[in-house]
Amino acid sequence: MGRWVQGLRDGIGFDTMLVLFALLYLFFFAGLPLIYNIVISFQSVDVFSLGSLVHPVVGIDNYTAIFADPLAQRVLINTLIFTIGSVTIQFTFGFALALFFHQRFPGATWIRGLFLAAWVMPGLVVGVLWNWLLSGDFGVINHVLESVGLIDEPVFWRSDVDTSLYSVLIANIWYGTPFNMILLAVGLAAIPDDLYEAAELDGATAFQRFWTITLPMMRPTIGAVLALGTIFTLQQFDLFAAITQGGPAGSSTVAQYWSWELSFREFDFGRGAVISVLMIVVVLFVSLIYVRSTKAETQL
Amino acid sequence: MTRVNANRVMLVIAIMLAALYLFPLYWMYVTSLKTNSSIFAVPPEFLPGEPQWENYATIWDVANIPRFIWNSLVIATGVTVITGIVGAGAAYVLARYRNGWIDAALFTVLMLQVLPPSLMVTPIFVGFAWIGLLDFPRFAAILAISAKTMPFFVILCRAAFMTIPRELEEAALVDGNSRAGAFFMIVLPLARNGILISALLVFMQGFGEYVYSASIIADNRLQPASIGMTNFLQPNVVNWNAIMAFAATYVTPILAAFVLLQRQIVNGLTAGALK
Repeated sequence: MGRWVQGLRDGIGFDTMLVLFALLYLFFFAGLPLIYNIVISFQSVDVFSLGSLVHPVVGIDNYTAIFADPLAQRVLINTLIFTIGSVTIQFTFGFALALFFHQRFPGATWIRGLFLAAWVMPGLVVGVLWNWLLSGDFGVINHVLESVGLIDEPVFWRSDVDTSLYSVLIANIWYGTPFNMILLAVGLAAIPDDLYEAAELDGATAFQRFWTITLPMMRPTIGAVLALGTIFTLQQFDLFAAITQGGPAGSSTVAQYWSWELSFREFDFGRGAVISVLMIVVVLFVSLIYVRSTKAETQL
Repeated sequence: MTRVNANRVMLVIAIMLAALYLFPLYWMYVTSLKTNSSIFAVPPEFLPGEPQWENYATIWDVANIPRFIWNSLVIATGVTVITGIVGAGAAYVLARYRNGWIDAALFTVLMLQVLPPSLMVTPIFVGFAWIGLLDFPRFAAILAISAKTMPFFVILCRAAFMTIPRELEEAALVDGNSRAGAFFMIVLPLARNGILISALLVFMQGFGEYVYSASIIADNRLQPASIGMTNFLQPNVVNWNAIMAFAATYVTPILAAFVLLQRQIVNGLTAGALK
């Protein structure tokens, strides 16, 4: 007993205990759910069987039901549009802003910091703000677009099946751009100045310097930012809950929202788990790319 | 163009970009101070008229804001305490050693950081229902949210511990401190700032959390402010000034903390994402 306590206070026992404590927590509240998720995707779980350990096994019925669901194709397309749209536009805006603030004029760092205010806000509040900004009759965005002549009559962003997905996409671009900007700014700051000075002496134009120095030096950062952007976009839920709730008629439903809706609106946890399992595979695949690109960066 | 003039032009463009970007926040505050009729004015009134401060007083009582904010604070505190106590030690060990086991543990933590809450909530909810945790919904939500914030916190704190020179700790061991003594007396105080900022970020995440709370906490007396706000968002809502007053009450403390600690928060978050 004495030696055991001694081991905890000294040497490897103390360290092992510290790390095991956290890993056990994560095992119980993340690892087990991951495995359990796969189990319930083969079961029929509703409000009546919820409280018991053993649920009726239905084999692959949940999977076939999901793939046969008329909403499935719509959700797949929506998820692709939302993810690719968010990641590319956030990245483009973020990179443009990072390059702009990299010019090191007085006040640049301070003003750049203001952009990050959006990013610490709860997603739900951001969603509620955009819900109001994009309101059909009295929304300020419709007013601005009408006064500059881009549209002739109000667009009912949230309630029109053709635009509902884009109302959430616009909000998500606003929400995610500062994160892209700051990570890319960190990457830009790490490029040594003398590379640019040498290129300038050799007569390289600004565009040539960007193409032959900035982009190649930024490659690991860009990889990490794109992967992280994809991961965060696939995590986005609050904006959907606050702006369209997946509607109207499923026109703005993406996979992560559909999974939640099946479980907590239709109380069909088995089918909710099917989408969850499939999407988690996608997310883990993307994060493998992310881990690889951060490794490449630390080796530089 | 001279250097000074070029700088001035850049500064003006920068301010215009920031103003354009932050317009939604401005619109939140302006709307929250308007009357019931002026929120529907056509064209919209971009400057506030007579500020209607009573919007805030009304929403405070009508929407049960104190109760919702209290629940958000309870959840955020619970999440921060669990995440901090369980996570800080692990972050320290992961920063101190470099071998196959540590790499594997670090990889596991990184992978767990990316799991979307809206997907994890299904198995967590079904599992919690079976073991009876749903009878303590707020506590159950805290446990679930902590599993989400833990990897994030471990990565951030690990970066903070990496900056503490190993020699300081070894000196303490030579002076007769135990391993645990060196950790609590030397390493923790030195890494304090990094840990506090990471804990603040975890707190802010807990304060604004929605998915787990909305799925697990059915009793509205225990629900946080994020759910309180969605209760307003029924179809055909009209009282946008009240909703914006709710939103402003909810986010102003977060924005204030951000303004005060901007540099540290930004450093912490970027360290977590890229290292």
